[in-house]
Amino acid sequence: MSTSPIQPDPSAIGGIPKAPLAFMPNTARLFKERAVRLERLAENSRLAPYLTFLAGLVRIQSDLVDALPTVDPIPAEQVERAREAAMPPLDRSAIGQSAVFRETLKQFLDRAEALDKPAAAAEALAQVQLADEATLDWMVENIAADNLPIEALAQHLYVAAAIQIHAARLAGGLDAAKLVPIQVGVCPTCGGKPVASMVIGFQGAEGTRYAGCSCCGTLWNEVRVKCLACGSTKGIGYRAVESGTEDATVKAEVCDTCHSWVKILYQNKNPSVEMVADDVASLGLDLLMKDTEYKRAGFNPFLIGY
Amino acid sequence: MNLDLSRRSFLKLAGAGVAATSVGAMGFGEAEAAEAAHVRPFKLATTTETRNTCPYCSVACGVILYSKGDLRKGETADIVHIEGDADHPTNRGTLCPKGAALKDFVKSPTRLQYPMHRKPGSDKFERISWDEAFDRMARLMKDDRDANFTATNQNGLPVNRWSTTGMLAASATTNETAWATFKFAKGLGIVGFDNQARV
Repeated sequence: MSTSPIQPDPSAIGGIPKAPLAFMPNTARLFKERAVRLERLAENSRLAPYLTFLAGLVRIQSDLVDALPTVDPIPAEQVERAREAAMPPLDRSAIGQSAVFRETLKQFLDRAEALDKPAAAAEALAQVQLADEATLDWMVENIAADNLPIEALAQHLYVAAAIQIHAARLAGGLDAAKLVPIQVGVCPTCGGKPVASMVIGFQGAEGTRYAGCSCCGTLWNEVRVKCLACGSTKGIGYRAVESGTEDATVKAEVCDTCHSWVKILYQNKNPSVEMVADDVASLGLDLLMKDTEYKRAGFNPFLIGY
Repeated sequence: MNLDLSRRSFLKLAGAGVAATSVGAMGFGEAEAAEAAHVRPFKLATTTETRNTCPYCSVACGVILYSKGDLRKGETADIVHIEGDADHPTNRGTLCPKGAALKDFVKSPTRLQYPMHRKPGSDKFERISWDEAFDRMARLMKDDRDANFTATNQNGLPVNRWSTTGMLAASATTNETAWATFKFAKGLGIVGFDNQARV
């Protein structure tokens, strides 16, 4: 008889689970891991100054998750109503009115003052700190609509970062099993646009693809080889910065139906990939894609304008 | 697409120099330019991921074929990897050992790519045209069916049985192909027959 401590487990055979619809953001880790990844990427990048600055902002996001008073969960009846209507349970248009969010924004801006930053970033921060209620409401509305005005990207970046903290805290309190799919490329938690998508190696969902919300940080399942902007499966191709024989871990998924592209990250090939951090760090791909017929459809408030 | 130039916002937050990108607007234009200079000599490589069905058995597992190059862009494409399709409800990304070796099936030097004929008494296969192949198959099938077809059973009841020729079809077929295959075989009376329509 075998004395090996390793015993066969036949129950694992044939038990291939169905990939879950969504993974809710783990607020204790989401921003911390993002900051670590940004710092790591900054070690070897021409974009190091920007990545380091963002790492500082994301560290503040992470610290605030711990420091802020707990946020009231989304009421069960609101979640139920959203389920019935196939709508997102997190109402982004209501964020602006939330006192907890206003406190989040204030503390975030105050803490951001201490960061090393260029004059333009400091000036934008001061403008947001001095902004009146109407201007703040207007900026929150723009971000909730995933539509940032090109002449105020810097100001919106700070407000968007504060909204990310609040939305991730709300989303983190939801049960992923209570969500329903809404539409291709739409976050089932808050209705936000995806930053990018990621082929994951998580146990139980190996090789499936998850889109990551630019607002609340939810990861939701999307069928692979399908355009996240228009839902078409026709004319999907991939572009990557040519690097000899090495297989790229960041690619542009292009769609010939709507002529747009969204980044796809292969986390199953490189487990340290983090969606928001690697999206910014792979700016080179955006710059090369600018010369093609395709428009960027991934939405990341830290990387607008490509 | 995510940009909106509105006069209202311009008046409200005018002051900071207008830069068209987040990186530039935050004052990191130099880093952005350095990245642009670095990436300029690089080219974009095209790859494709294509869904298909494993051809081996009637389970019909979903597979994704990864290739370098894109045929639709007038390039040549070369399959570099094949794996199970995690979105496919039948296999959820898994493959049996045969399916997992599909790339070698595609790339095999002995893979059958056109009709081959080994003449009686010969020790090697020779390539023939599709026309020759079809003519020969039709001729041999007709001769065999004419010689061996069973029109009535032992009780004298009319039947449609051709038991001396068998047919085996592959699994990577649509419902319509399976239907047409079945009608073809059963119309001729072929008894020894298997295809995807069985499952």
